[in-house]
Order: sequence, then C-alpha cells, then structure tokens
Amino acid sequence: MSERVPKYRYTAGQVTIVRAIWVLIGAVLALMTLFPLLWMVSISFKTQAEMFDMGLVPANPTLDNFRYVFTQVDFVRYLLNTFFVAATVTLVALLFHSMAGYALARLRFPGREAIFLTMFSTFLVSLPVIIVPLFILVRSLGMLNSFSGLIIPSIFNAFGIFLLRQFYLSVPRELEEAALIDGAGHFRIYWSVILPISRPILSALAILFFLANWNAFLWPLTVTRDPELRLVQVAIAGFQGQYTAAWNYIMAASTVVALPMLVLFLIFQRQIMDSLKTSGLK
Amino acid sequence: MTLQQTDTAAGPRPAARRRLSFRTREKIAGYLFVLPDALGLLVFVGLPMLLALGLGFFEVDGFGGYRFAGLANYRRMWADPLFWQSLGATLLYAAMLVPSLYVSGLGLALLVERTNAWNGVLRAIFFLPQMVSLVVVALIWKMLTVEKIGAISRALSPLGLGGISFLGNPDWAMFAVVFVSVWFLMGFYMLIFLGGLQDIPKEYYEAARIDGAGPLSSFWFITLPLLRPTSFFVLLVSLVTAVAGGAAFDLIYVMTKGGPANSTSLLIFYAYQQAFQYNSFGYAGAIASILVAVLLLVTLVMFLLTRGGRFQYE
Amino acid sequence: MSAVDIDDVVKTYGAMQVIHGVDLSIADGEFVVLVGPSGCGKSTLLRMVAGLEDISGGTISIGGTVVNELAPKERNIAMVFQNYALYPHMTVAQNMAFSLRLNRVGREEIRQKVERAADILGLGALLDRYPAQLSGGQRQRVAMGRAIVRNPEVFLFDEPLSNLDAKLRVQMRAEIGELHQRLRTTTIYVTHDQIEAMTMADRIVVMNAGRVEQVGSPLELYDRPRNLFVAGFIGSPAMNFIPGRIVERQFRSPLGVVAPLPRGINAAEGTEVVCGIRPDQITLGDEGAPAEVSVVEPTGAETLVVLRAGGVPIQAVLRDRRQIRPGEAVSFRLEPEAMHLFDAGTGVRL
Repeated sequence: MSERVPKYRYTAGQVTIVRAIWVLIGAVLALMTLFPLLWMVSISFKTQAEMFDMGLVPANPTLDNFRYVFTQVDFVRYLLNTFFVAATVTLVALLFHSMAGYALARLRFPGREAIFLTMFSTFLVSLPVIIVPLFILVRSLGMLNSFSGLIIPSIFNAFGIFLLRQFYLSVPRELEEAALIDGAGHFRIYWSVILPISRPILSALAILFFLANWNAFLWPLTVTRDPELRLVQVAIAGFQGQYTAAWNYIMAASTVVALPMLVLFLIFQRQIMDSLKTSGLK
Repeated sequence: MTLQQTDTAAGPRPAARRRLSFRTREKIAGYLFVLPDALGLLVFVGLPMLLALGLGFFEVDGFGGYRFAGLANYRRMWADPLFWQSLGATLLYAAMLVPSLYVSGLGLALLVERTNAWNGVLRAIFFLPQMVSLVVVALIWKMLTVEKIGAISRALSPLGLGGISFLGNPDWAMFAVVFVSVWFLMGFYMLIFLGGLQDIPKEYYEAARIDGAGPLSSFWFITLPLLRPTSFFVLLVSLVTAVAGGAAFDLIYVMTKGGPANSTSLLIFYAYQQAFQYNSFGYAGAIASILVAVLLLVTLVMFLLTRGGRFQYE
Repeated sequence: MSAVDIDDVVKTYGAMQVIHGVDLSIADGEFVVLVGPSGCGKSTLLRMVAGLEDISGGTISIGGTVVNELAPKERNIAMVFQNYALYPHMTVAQNMAFSLRLNRVGREEIRQKVERAADILGLGALLDRYPAQLSGGQRQRVAMGRAIVRNPEVFLFDEPLSNLDAKLRVQMRAEIGELHQRLRTTTIYVTHDQIEAMTMADRIVVMNAGRVEQVGSPLELYDRPRNLFVAGFIGSPAMNFIPGRIVERQFRSPLGVVAPLPRGINAAEGTEVVCGIRPDQITLGDEGAPAEVSVVEPTGAETLVVLRAGGVPIQAVLRDRRQIRPGEAVSFRLEPEAMHLFDAGTGVRL
C-alpha cells in the first residue's frame, strides 16, 4: 500500500498529528495574547491586598475599585467628553471623506490628479512627527484648551479618503449615469445614490475612526490642560502618575475605558477585520 | 389608456433657463466636494509639514514669538549627544520592530489561514490588542513587569529572571518596548498578510502539488513570491510606523518616559520633550524636520514604485 | 416622441478619433438598431445621444433641438443599461419612481405611473422587492419600467440582453418588440448580436471602426449587403467568401467553382472579385467543385457541413438529412442568382 502513495501525500495519522500540533500552537499563542487583557480585568476586581497574587480569578472579588474610579474622580465627565469628541470627529470625517473620495474617483475636473497626489503625500505622516508645528498652529488659531481644538485637527487624514476613493472606483459607473439620465444633479447623485450604497464601508470606517479617536492620547494630551476637557486616555495616564502603586484602581479605570471598544469589536469584528484586510492594498 | 397620452413628466425642454453647461457644473461639484477635506488637510497636515521643515531655522518662545536663528538649532543638534543617542534608539527600535512584525504577522496569518470556526476565534484574539488603547496597553505591561511582584516577573523567577526590572534596566527596556509594540501591532499585520494570502489563487497550490511540491516548497516557490506586493507594503508601513512612532510614542510616554538613561528615547519622543518640557520649539522643529524629510522621501519612493498606491501585479 | 438627427458626429479621445463623422436620421417612432463588432463605436454613439459622452464634432438633435450642450436630464431620454444599473438600495417601485421624484411629480401621480408601468411589464407583484431579490429577466423588466415611467421622447438601449441566458434573451426580445409596438417611442438599440438586430429593427445601422457601413431594413441588408463587411456580419451562419475573377461573363474560382454572372452585373473582364454565397444557397451533389467534408454538425432541422475546397473552409446548410461523414469527397454548386459579387480590392458590391 504505502509505497504506492506519492511522496507528497501524508497518512491519516500524520495529518492528525500535524493538525493537533497546529491547534496547540494556536491555542498557546492565543492564550499568551489574551493573558494581559484577562489580567487587567482580574486585577480590577481584586482588593489592594491580593493585587499581586498569582490567581487569575480574584479570591474576594470586589467592585470597590470601580466605585472609587467613578466617585473619587470625575470619570463620567471624561467618558462623556471622549464620546462627544470621538463621535463628532467620526461623523464629520465620514461626510468629508466620502465627498472627497467620490469626487476624486468619479467627478471630472481639472487638477483632480494633482489634488489626489498632494493628499496622498500626507499618507505616511503621523501625528508625533508634526505635533510640534501643529501645536503652534492650533495655538495661533486660538484653539488651545477647547473642543474645537480637540476635534477639528483630528478630522483630516488621507487614509480615509484613499480607502473611500478606492471603493468608489469599484462602483459601476452606470449607476451614476442612470441617475444622471433620471434627472439627478451631482449633489443629488451623491446623496441619494452614492451615500446609501456606501453604507457597508462607511460603517466599517465609522468603527475605525471612532476607535482611533476614543483611544487617542497624544493630541488631547498636548492640546488641552483644562480638566473640564480631559479625555479618558489622558485621564488614566495621569491617574498612574498620581496613584503609582494603586494598580487595582488603574486597572479598573483601564477596564472601563477598554470595555466599550472590546464590545464593539465583538459585535463588528467581521466588518472591522474585513475592511482592514483590504486597506490600501487594492 | 397608454402611456403616450399622459403628459410628459419633464415638461418643455428647459434649455432656456440653463445657465451653466453640465460639464461646468460637474467641475464645480468636484471642487466643492473636495474642498472641505482639501482645506483641512492643507491646514492641519500640509501646513504643519511645511512648518516642520522651516521651524528649525527659528527660535520660538513660549508665547509664540519667533526669531530667525539660522542654523543654530541644527548646529546644536550636531553637537547634542542626546540627539545622537535618540537617533540610535530610533534605528535600533526600527531594526528590531520591522523584522519582528514581518515574521509574527506572516506567521500568525499562516497559522490561521484556513477558514474555519476555530481560526476565526484565533484571528479575533490576535487582533484584540488593537482595540485597546496604547495607554491601557502600556499600563497593563507596566504592571505585569513590576519588579519581583508583577505577574511576568513572578512567572520568570524560577528561571532566575524574576529580579529583572524590564523597564528599569537600560539593557532591557528597549526589548520590552519592542515586545509590547509587536504584541499590539501583530494582529493588524496578520490581517494584511491574510488578505494577501487569500488573493493567491488556490489553483497554483493544486498545480504545485501535482508537480510534486510539499508544504515547504509550495511556501517557498508560490506563497512567498506571490506575496511580494503584500510584503513590500508591510515592510514599508512597519518601517514608517517605527520611525514616525505611530505606536511607540504613547507606549514610551507611559512606560518609560524615554528612560532609563535615555535608552528608549526615540527621536519623536526627544523632540516632544524638547518642545513641551523645555520649551525649545525651534530645536524640536529641527529634529522633526529631519523626520518629515525622511517620510516624504519614503512616500515618494513608494508612490513611484507602486504607480500611485497600487500594490498588486498588473 | 421625436425624431433624432445625427449630423457628421465625431468623437475623439485626445489624439485618437474613434467615430469619424457619422450621419444618421431616425424618424419619429422608429426602432433603429446599431450593430457591429465590439469597439466599432456603437455604444459611444449611443452615449453621445444620451449625453454621457461629449460630442467632439457635429451635432445631435432630438425633436429638432440641438442637444450637444444639454445635460442628460434635459434631453428627455431614457436609457436601459447592459448591467441594468438598478439602484441597489431602492425597491422596484422606488427605482421606477426616482426620476419622477426628482422632477417633483406629485405623490399620487407617481403612484399611478409606476403602477401602470408595472402593469405593462407584469411587475405588479414585485414592487416592494429589492433588485438583489430579482432574477435577471425581472431586473431587465424593472430597468425598462424605469425608462417607460418617464414617457421619454427617445428610448436608448445599450446591449440590454447580453447578460441574460439564451432562452430569456429570445423572450425579452419579443417583449421589447411588443413594448415598442404599443408605445411607438423612438428607440435606439445597441447590440453586437446581429440576430437581435435582424429580429427587432425597423432599420439596422451596421457600424465598423467608427464608421457606418450600411443603413437599411433587415432584409435589405441581408439581400443586398453593400460591402464585404456587412455581408460577413449579417446572417448566421456567416456568408462564405470565395475568391475568383470574371472570365467570359462567368465567375471562375481557382477552387473549381464556375458560375454565370447574375443578371444586372457588369464587370470588366479579368476583375478580381470575391463571391459571397450564403450557406443555404450551396447544394451538394455529384457535379460541381470538388471538396472534402471536414465537419458535420447536425442540429435536427438542418445540418451544417463544413467543406474544405483548396484550403478554403466553406459552410453549407443542408435541409435534407443525408448520410455524410468527415473525410468524404463531395462536389458542391452554388445558386448563381444568390451570388453576391464584391470587388476584391475595395470590398464594394458590384
């Protein structure tokens, strides 16, 4: 029997063993990836005394840490601030980027390619690199310590425009032509045809934008000093300076901050991962 | 009743009230649609980039006053050992991060390439760190590596490594920062590689199997070559991430503040400190200008190599 | 409803000219089919009528008004696209109502018009469905419904049946014909399928490489193709072309074909010509030019036989069933009165 099996075939036993090893490797790596997050949640339910015990499940689970975070610090305000900023940035960015992406993909006007190229040239510039001049600029615009200073500069990024432009390039042109013949103008086509059919990609981008702004740290740290305007990431980073060894409080706050995004991920993981999988590659 | 008996919906031909030709209207619509983003990008990204290139030639005080300083900032930079140390740290960080991300991203992608329920769960888990903010990530790892009592320190103590202060020891801190960066970013690169892997037609593998290729040779002769566009994208983006500090800034700010002994002070972090701790905006601008120039160059090269951002074979 | 006049229309893309001065007058209520191989410019011409492409030169007028500078919506035309271009996020009813809504037609009037169009096309039960829930034929009907609710002056069809399977195509062909009978709206219909053109058109316009080769009724084109291109394009299976020359008032081919010239043909002695003969005008028998049978394809009602005569393939359609096998040696004759003679140099009919 076995000598008739070609070299590249494997016996059922071999396949099973390879599969088992594969699954084992996956499980171990997954556990290692997951462990820090589990530890965060675990500590947030532990008392100060058992904080550094090795048990993953708290011996005496307590909600005191959360109570502390919500009562001793103005954490609710930070959460609301962050939600407001992230949601506003997301909505405005989706509107602007889809308009620009559509125009760059489909409308014919002189200078279109030059505009796209110029936008594309900002593709790889990240915030840390331009933070100093951006700060000076925003300061001279009088937007330090304000919601507008938090929101407006965060709206613009070439990545979203680029992704939407790619999407609109793949929309069949006949759809717009049919609308043109039906009597729609360009604004009407955008609003009644293009926007509705971009819903899947817009919702994926909405999650990504919201996530990025919810998790943003450097810009809010730099542009605001006012505690009234504090956002959560800045708050918990500051927390750590304040309560150096009170890891139970810090982890409770971290859990509160991370939880909404983790839930969002559980619900929308397919859309999030699919939209990133093709990002910029096509 | 037939349709032709009803009035025409459009009424008389509206040529008379038409003022602009429809091509002109398309142009106007195009400019109006692009305007908000173009303006915003210009003011909040383009202008800062230009400013970054020019800021280094000025002395800026804390109240927004400027004084032309010629090459003073650049001379200072040349003579500043901390600048050179930061440059070295940046290069070291990039040199460790880029290959680690390539290997871990591709490795994970290969591990979970087959589509089934179990791999779906694994993919989600490997991607999960991306959902958590870098501040929280930094805090968690800081806590895990607290000397002697942190969970990782304790787990390693049987190996005699329990006493190591990973973030407090200049020999270890950079490794720790790279490790956490990889833990955070690997899920994203796994997805990019998955996209690339799934774009390779299965027929090639079947043909290779019939030609007698085993798993290793089909990886070497089919997967890797056909993955070249993806690899190029991954290497480029991870290199830029490493240099421009997309992830590193937050981690360093929370975990090490550039220390110990400036061992994790990347250029972006050093520039930030100069500006916001010591009010040396001009000097910070000089440092940033070098980064902007490098990034513009990289973007240009990428644009030329990919003919406008198209990363596939054509 | 209106006449459409296309006068010396030219289309250029940069330095490349793709349509070289097309003239065409379409009468009010006429059904005209533009046909030709892909890339011949037929779709471009249609899209210029629609206003989706700029007109580089010449004029197009609809109902006596020059429309060169008018936007598509101002031309009062309706168009059915190859991929239907139904708005995926709107129901069938909303798809049909969209143009009326944009024209601020009253709600009640919209409802009536949509229902009437749905009645005509048998879409009544589907009004609340989305395009993704429809079959190919149903989508096709909705696309037509979207066109007819507007009661346009001109219908434009751009290869509307090419995404359907063969059986459905025949059915939809009949439905479009019926619709035109009923509405009598001027129609311009683009297809690459000459059977579609033959069966539907009042007049066919054969285009090739950006030029009009011939305009005429289907049977005119079939019976008297003006040149080799039209002769080869119209009719299926395609016309056979046999090279030869005129000798002593006869057509003589090196393949061994000899036939007297049809009446009314005057060609100089020794002219190089091409003889076109439709496959059903060839008879196999014991006398005539020698050939070898290379392929036999019985389809039931008739049998298609491919012969080889001196290396030239010749198709013949036989009505009677007869035992014939590849490799067999046969002789064939042509019906002299069915011969089409073309000048070998210019390709023009003699």
